[in-house]
Amino acid sequence: MRETARQLLREREVGLVIGYAAGSEAYWVTPAFIKEEAQADRLVWNPFCVNSLAKYLINYHHEPYKVAVVVKGCDSRALVRLLQDNQVQREKVVVIGIPCLGVVDAKAAALKIAPGTRILGASVTDGEFLLQTESGTLSLPRGEALCAKCRYCENPTPVLADTLLAEEVAAEPAANIYAEVREVESWPREKRSAFWDGHFQRCLRCYACRNICPACTCRECVFDQTDPCWVAKAHNLSENTAFHLIRAMHVAGRCVDCGECERACPVNIPLRLLNQKVIKDIKELFGVSTPGSRLDEMPALGMFATEDPDEFN
Amino acid sequence: MSVRDFLLTREGLHSWLSRLARDYPLIAPVEEEKGVITFKQVGGPQEIVFDCAPSTLPPKEWFLPSTEELFAFSTAGGGITLQEPPGPKERVLFGLHPCDVRALLALDPVFGGTYPDPYYLGRRKATIIVALSCTKPGPYCFCPAVGGDPVVAAGADLLLTESGSSFAVKAMTSRGEEIIQRYPGHFAPDEEGRGERARQELAGQLAGMFAFLPDLRGVKEFLDGHFELPYWEEVASRCLGCGICTYTCPTCHCFDIFDQSWDGARGLRARCWDSCMFSQFTRMAGGHNPRPTQKERVRNRFLHKLKYHQDRYGLGGCVGCGRCVAKCPVNIDIRRIIGDLKELASHG
Repeated sequence: MRETARQLLREREVGLVIGYAAGSEAYWVTPAFIKEEAQADRLVWNPFCVNSLAKYLINYHHEPYKVAVVVKGCDSRALVRLLQDNQVQREKVVVIGIPCLGVVDAKAAALKIAPGTRILGASVTDGEFLLQTESGTLSLPRGEALCAKCRYCENPTPVLADTLLAEEVAAEPAANIYAEVREVESWPREKRSAFWDGHFQRCLRCYACRNICPACTCRECVFDQTDPCWVAKAHNLSENTAFHLIRAMHVAGRCVDCGECERACPVNIPLRLLNQKVIKDIKELFGVSTPGSRLDEMPALGMFATEDPDEFN
Repeated sequence: MSVRDFLLTREGLHSWLSRLARDYPLIAPVEEEKGVITFKQVGGPQEIVFDCAPSTLPPKEWFLPSTEELFAFSTAGGGITLQEPPGPKERVLFGLHPCDVRALLALDPVFGGTYPDPYYLGRRKATIIVALSCTKPGPYCFCPAVGGDPVVAAGADLLLTESGSSFAVKAMTSRGEEIIQRYPGHFAPDEEGRGERARQELAGQLAGMFAFLPDLRGVKEFLDGHFELPYWEEVASRCLGCGICTYTCPTCHCFDIFDQSWDGARGLRARCWDSCMFSQFTRMAGGHNPRPTQKERVRNRFLHKLKYHQDRYGLGGCVGCGRCVAKCPVNIDIRRIIGDLKELASHG
């Protein structure tokens, strides 16, 4: 990765490389914006590279130079959707793709290591997540350690890349991706209502879910408008519910199931579950793949076909 | 103010908390959702999380609610009538860690200064604060680096410190003494100074347990002379502009006032949390924005924590609770920021 970045910068092919740098803890990374060849050594790749970096490209839309961005498979779907919406221009981005066996959200995985233990390295294999510490190697089953989204990944290899930094990883046969959604769908209305009320009442309206979302690209967000005021500033169940439901509908067809909203949420609202419901419905209604899976597939809600379901008739 | 020390057994603590919950609204840390600890009113000690370090959200909600009705208005019957909501009842806030108590001391001059804020001050006055010494720092705690101490809680009415099978209780105010007197039979006088020894012992144990203590020396002086730094652009390029750091911060206190009315004839005026990380925070009528990019916003937040609060009130704006560190989705870590600024300062 460092060599690729160095080369791109040396040959002036790009003016910026967006990748990952070591975080303040061994189990965190932070986005890195590398403009000079000498800085490329800051780049890292490890199982803690959870962040989706694709959305940062929008900030460089008007720059004269090209930008290189590091993407995992899920992040490449976000990039495809951004390209389809003309938020990013293909000729202005160099895609550094990393085939990936899954990443670990250290906050969610609640790694059981004693505070202060030095982490020396980490890796993901077909079956395990391995964490090397100074007091030995800790092994966790893959299913327990990885982000929920990685447990049944549709695109372990980026769907779009100019360079792939590793051998392609084949997707596992699709398991029951929407098991959790189906479970909630099977509940009676009152139970579903109580479930979501319980979560939405906790919302702080910090807008991290929106700001981190690669599908949220509006120059002025509906929730920031004061006149007309579609959703009041007040934090209460009614307004919070309006916020989350409107958002889910607004990103319908653009949500690529990267799970960043849920990861960012400081109060653990299961936002991915909500957005997965929308993806599942769109797939069933329009027979399309997960948004962003194919650059040549028109977005379901961005096109019209005479075969589209027409249940109002 | 006299200082008095008592001892409380674990059973005694539970029965006292049960009594408190009957006599007052008792507010304490609870696990509201798996992994989310917040301060809520509780029915008794069985609901309380005693060893959180620290809670997911700070207790500031109980002094500066995320949304607070200031008054209701109505034009029914001609003219205009205003109705204020009832003031808060006396309540007990249990389980604050020393950093959270320090955060309240940092907020007091903001709301109690030239223009006293009756809402905040009313809630503050109505609250009896029972603090709990830390028994284990969280992985991102750094209170000693910003002048805090995990076993000292000046500003609380009572400080409880776990010591073996019992708790050492220190009455820090006359209000603290009164509440002890109100529950005879629970507290035994600590005549041998066991509490003081327990606190010192705990302080000694905790001293080596902070993983990352940034060095603040010289940082404020550097910021005094360096408003413009290219460094803020680097931080801002990562920042999402969400409100997590400000909303989980125990000392951030910005709010916005708005009216809510469906028909214009009646409605309410309220205030709710706002965040200097948001682009609209400084946007003026007419569209001008004096903090036009995330660079200015990020700089503002860190200068507020490390400089402005100190300039205005002589108090630190950061109490080292580590909540913003724990929750930032892009790992903007104030401990690292302090280290980076220190480095910049030393290189001129």
